[in-house]
Amino acid sequence: MFESVSGSNASGPIPAIAGIGLRFPHHRQINETRPAIGWLEVHTENYLGGGSTRRMLFDLRDTYPLSLHGVGLSLGSADGLDMEHLKRIARLVRDLQPQLVSEHLSWSTVDGTYLADLLPLPMSEEALELICRHVTQTQEALGRRILIENPSTYLQCPQSVIPEWEFLAEVIRRTGCGLLCDVNNIFVSAFNHNWDARAYLQELPAAAVGEIHLAGHALRTLNSGAQIRIDDHGSRVSSEVWQLYRFALSIMGAKPTLIEWDTDVPALEVLLSEAAHATQYLNAIAEGVHEHAA
Amino acid sequence: MSTLLEWQRSMRARLLGAPRPDLPSADAATDAKSTERYAIYRHTCLTTLINALRLNFPAVRLLVGDEFFEGAAAQFVSAQPPTSAYLNDYGASFAAFLAQFPPAAGISYLSDVARLEWAVSRSLHAPDSASLDPAALSALDPSQMSAVRFHPRPGVCLLRLNAPADEIWRAVLSGDEVAMAAVKLGNRPVYLLVERDERGTSVQRLGCVAGRFSEALLRGQSLNEALDAVDDGHVADGANEEVNAALADHLRAGRFAEFTTEGENEI
Repeated sequence: MFESVSGSNASGPIPAIAGIGLRFPHHRQINETRPAIGWLEVHTENYLGGGSTRRMLFDLRDTYPLSLHGVGLSLGSADGLDMEHLKRIARLVRDLQPQLVSEHLSWSTVDGTYLADLLPLPMSEEALELICRHVTQTQEALGRRILIENPSTYLQCPQSVIPEWEFLAEVIRRTGCGLLCDVNNIFVSAFNHNWDARAYLQELPAAAVGEIHLAGHALRTLNSGAQIRIDDHGSRVSSEVWQLYRFALSIMGAKPTLIEWDTDVPALEVLLSEAAHATQYLNAIAEGVHEHAA
Repeated sequence: MSTLLEWQRSMRARLLGAPRPDLPSADAATDAKSTERYAIYRHTCLTTLINALRLNFPAVRLLVGDEFFEGAAAQFVSAQPPTSAYLNDYGASFAAFLAQFPPAAGISYLSDVARLEWAVSRSLHAPDSASLDPAALSALDPSQMSAVRFHPRPGVCLLRLNAPADEIWRAVLSGDEVAMAAVKLGNRPVYLLVERDERGTSVQRLGCVAGRFSEALLRGQSLNEALDAVDDGHVADGANEEVNAALADHLRAGRFAEFTTEGENEI
């Protein structure tokens, strides 16, 4: 079924155009209407079983380039990778042959307990060595390069001694993996930790960026009166993040760009309009309309 | 111990355990605010896991209401958090938890409905697999037949329950209050066959003889042992026909992946 995709939209690498995250409420509509979308990304953990859900993903492979975005491998686990989970992912990657495979610079599992969130990792030498070992182990198990995504964080660990952008650049240098640059996450973390978001982007190895993520976030006020931005993927991309995206494109060039929406998932048309908005920025870059860094 | 492992263990305690003001703050720069910052992660962790249970046990939730369900699920999550990031696999022991959960003691059928929903969820997400071709059995020497052990395909399951969980499950998911009111809680076991085919996952009730036979067979007992399970000294007339029909139906419906005979390694 999925082997015979040559000549379709689904062959070749992910193009540097806009795609959307495929979520369950839109399965039927996308499967039946096959709207014009550059590519689709799914959460790997939702497709590790069999049955109709898996079948639909394999059917969509004939129409759309696909990206598998993992949320559960826990590359930062101090006590090692869950080898059973890695094997399940490897089987899906082998069968589906997606154009992209990605995971996060974070951890979720300790002592065999999965904590169901992308948790912050101390930016330490110990964590750097561990992440590099696990990225290499994953790339070997999958037989391909993966992208790792910069996290959104609400806490900075006291053991952190390496700036996050340097940590990412070093993981890329040591393992040969690529970067999934989440512009919303950079905006959120920069606000929460008082970093310079543009300087963060400028420090990243632009050539290693294989994908960009865009999503909405929420602004909350803590009891202390301080404000915090929360990466809830539950609204349209904010105007500040669109501006930061334009800046990112000006230094990285056009990259495959994904609209993510996971909380209160709206009508498909809303996602498509967000993707169309990203397309405008991508077209502007392709036409040579560059923003001059302030 | 590595400082990283120490940090991750302290996060686990903060996310799943009772509030722990004695744990060192992770964020030296924002000490005063750190409790609320941890709470963001704790909230995501708990809501994601409770939601996974909500998706796997929709009828249980409808039977007890949102608030009760969330309370029970939160206690279950703290006591038995998932061991894998594959959350379709999370909730195997939720039915047993509900059976021992004091606030649910008045709803005798709740854990049986949970057992059925777990079987349905397992079936829905089971890996795709090929069915045994019944013709393969014809190669066997007839003397070997009684020692044959069938191995069910993933997603095929036989439940023996005390409550008519299938009737309750259908009534509550379809919002059929008349059907719900008509459910009679008997004192005879109910045998439910859960499986998945091209059309989706289905639940069908088997009679007592077919149920006992199929339960033994699908548990990996030999044909002979499964026949013994039916024969408890007062076999009803027609039991043989019922057993033969059940076996034929299992083979025709492709519920087995393979079979082994005595002396072969089970796979």
